[in-house]
Amino acid sequence: MTPLGRWTSSLRFRLLAATLAALALALLLAGVWLSGLFREHVMRQFEAALTLQLDQLTTQLELDASGQPVIDPQQLSDPRWRTPYSGLYWQLDQVSGDGATRGGVLRSRSLWDTTLPLKSDALADGAVHMHEGSGPQGAAVLMLERTVALGEQPGVRWRLVVAAETRQALEAVEHFTGVLTVSLLVLGALLALAAVAQVAVGLSPLRGLQRALVQVREGRSARLQGRFPSEVQPLIDDFNGVLDRNAEVVARARTQAGNLAHALKTPLAVLGQAATQALDAGDPANPRDTGPALARLVHEQVDTARRHIDWHLAHARAAAADRLPGLRTPVVPVALGLVRVMQRVHAERHIDIDATGLPGALAFAGEEQDLQEMLGNLIDNACKWARHTVVVSASSTAGRLCLRVEDDGPGIDDQARAAVLARGARLDENVPGSGLGLAIVADLARLYGGEVRLETASLGGLGVALSLPAAD
Amino acid sequence: MRVLLVEDEPTLRAQLRSALEAAGYAVDDADNGRDAHFLGDTEAFDAVVLDLGLPVLDGLSVLKRWRDAGRAMPVLILTARDNWSEKVAGIDAGADDYLTKPFHMEELLARLRALIRRASGLASPVLQCGALALDTRSGRVTLAGQPVALTSHEYKVLDYLMHRPGSVVSRTELTEHIYAQDFDRDSNTIEVFVGRLRKKLPPELIETVRGMGYRLNTGS
Repeated sequence: MTPLGRWTSSLRFRLLAATLAALALALLLAGVWLSGLFREHVMRQFEAALTLQLDQLTTQLELDASGQPVIDPQQLSDPRWRTPYSGLYWQLDQVSGDGATRGGVLRSRSLWDTTLPLKSDALADGAVHMHEGSGPQGAAVLMLERTVALGEQPGVRWRLVVAAETRQALEAVEHFTGVLTVSLLVLGALLALAAVAQVAVGLSPLRGLQRALVQVREGRSARLQGRFPSEVQPLIDDFNGVLDRNAEVVARARTQAGNLAHALKTPLAVLGQAATQALDAGDPANPRDTGPALARLVHEQVDTARRHIDWHLAHARAAAADRLPGLRTPVVPVALGLVRVMQRVHAERHIDIDATGLPGALAFAGEEQDLQEMLGNLIDNACKWARHTVVVSASSTAGRLCLRVEDDGPGIDDQARAAVLARGARLDENVPGSGLGLAIVADLARLYGGEVRLETASLGGLGVALSLPAAD
Repeated sequence: MRVLLVEDEPTLRAQLRSALEAAGYAVDDADNGRDAHFLGDTEAFDAVVLDLGLPVLDGLSVLKRWRDAGRAMPVLILTARDNWSEKVAGIDAGADDYLTKPFHMEELLARLRALIRRASGLASPVLQCGALALDTRSGRVTLAGQPVALTSHEYKVLDYLMHRPGSVVSRTELTEHIYAQDFDRDSNTIEVFVGRLRKKLPPELIETVRGMGYRLNTGS
C-alpha cells in the first residue's frame, strides 16, 4: 500500500475528514445565512428611511395659484437634495388621464438636468411602489413612487418619486460579509485544530496498543500488556486469549512429542542392549547360529529408529516455532549453558572453549530449544574434532544474526563439505541426522529462513557460520 | 568399584546391571528417585548412573540434593529427551556427563570408566605403578609386559588401590567399594584377596599400614 493509501484508509483520516467536512458545511451555511440576514436588515432600514423622505415630500407638494404643483426646496432639510449627484433625488411626473406620462415636471436640484427613468405604473392613490433601477451616471438606485391627486384636476394625477443610491448600504453589507468571512474562517481553523487534538487524544490508546503489539511481535511479551479504553479492551482480552491458547497448544504438542520420544527411547535402549547381549552370547563360528546376525540387524534398526525420532522431533518443534509470533531468545545464556556442558563432557580432552566474543545484546527470533539444538550440535561437533581450541563468536547485521563456531581440528575439504550439508537437503531420501549433526542444524536453520556455511576457520580447522533471523 | 544404578524400567535396569557386573563393578540399584537419593546419600559409591525420568522424585532433583549435601561422586545421567536444554539442566545440576537413550553399552562403560578415573585425578585409561599396568578398558593386568591372571575379586581390590596410588585405603573402605550393599560382607576376606595379590605381584607392592589399612607402593 502506498503511504497515501495507508493514510487515507486510516481511522485518523476518516475521523478528521468527517469532522472537517461537517465543520466546513456548517460554517458555510452559517455565513450565507448571517450575511443574508444582515443584508435584509440593512435594506429594510434603507427602505424605511426612503419612505420617510417620500412622506415628507408628499406633505410639501402643493398647487400654486396657477394650478401648477410646487415643492418649496426651503422646506426640505436634507442638504443632499441640493447637491448635484449627491445620491438622493426626487422627481414629480404628471400622469394624464389617458396614461401619458410627462416625466420630470419638478425635480430636485441634485438631479441636475437628468430625469429618473421609470416605466409607467398604474397605482391606486397613495399606494407606494418600489423599483430598482439606475439613476444619474448609471449608479444603482432604489426608487419609491407614490401617485397622488391634487385639488380638483380631473384626469390629472401626480407621481412623486424619490430615489437613493444603494451603493453605501451595499458597501456596508459587503464590509459585514468580509468581516463575517474572516471570523468564520478563524473559528473554522480553531475548530479544526480542536478536532485534530480530539482525534489525537481519542486515538492515543491505539498507539499504546501498537506498542504492546510490537512487544509481542519482538517476543518481549507473551500477551498484550496494559489497560485500554473500554471500547477496545474486549478486543485486547480476546486477542490475549488467542495468544494464550496458541502458546498452550504449542506447549502441549511439544510435551506430547517429547513424551512420545521418551516413551519410545527406553524400549529402544532395552532392545539394543538385548541385541548386545545376544551378540556376546552367540557363536560367530557356528553358521547355524543366526543370533549374531539378528542382533546386528536389531542394532542397526534401533539406531535408525533413534535418528528418525530425533530428526522428526526437531522438525516438528521447529515447524511449530516458525509460526509463533514474538519469539526472542537471547544468545549468550544459551551459548554459555552449552559451553558449561561441553567443558564438563569433553573435560578429558582439555579443549579450551572461548566464548568471550559474544555481544550480550544479541537475540535470536525463534525457540530457545532450536537455538540450543543448532548451537549445541555445532559446539559439540567442534569439541569432538578440535585439537586444543574452539571459538564461539556472534555478530548481527541488518536483522540477521551470524553465529560462528570454529575449531583447530582437521577441518573438512571442499567436496566433503557439500556432501555433509546436502544430506539435509531432502527429507525423504536421506538418512535423518548425520554423524556430524550438521544436516539437522542446516535443516533447522532453513526452517527459520537461515543457512549454514562451512568454511576454513582462522584456527585452521572447520568454521561453521550459522545465519539466523535476529530479534531486536 | 561400586556403582549406583538408578533406572525405573525393569528390563533396562536388569540389562545394565548385568553389563556393569560383567565389567567388574559392584552394583546397587534403585527404581525410584527417593530410594536412589537415600542410597546415594548414605553409601559410598564410585559413580552413579542416573536416569532422569524417575517416579516419586525426578533424577535432576535427586542429583541437586546430593550436590547440595556435598556428595561429590561422579554422576552419569541417562536422558531420553535428546535436547540440549535437558543436558544443560543436568550439567548445571551437577552431572559430570550424559548419555542419550538408546545408547551402546560399550559407550556407557567407557564414559563410566573415564568419570571414575577423572574423579581420582588420573589422565590415562592405563593405570601404571612401576612395572605394573592395569588397562581399565580391557581389564587386563600386566607386570613388565607379561599378563597376570587375576580373579574378579582380586582385580576389584587392585583396581581400587590403583585408582588411589600412594594413599592409605582402609579395609572398610575397600569392602564398601568392592561389594554391593546386599552382599554378605566380611572384611577378613579382604585380607585373603590382598594375600593372593601379593603372591601374584611383587610382594612389596601393597604395603600394610598398621591399624589403618593398605597403601599401594608407588616406588617413590
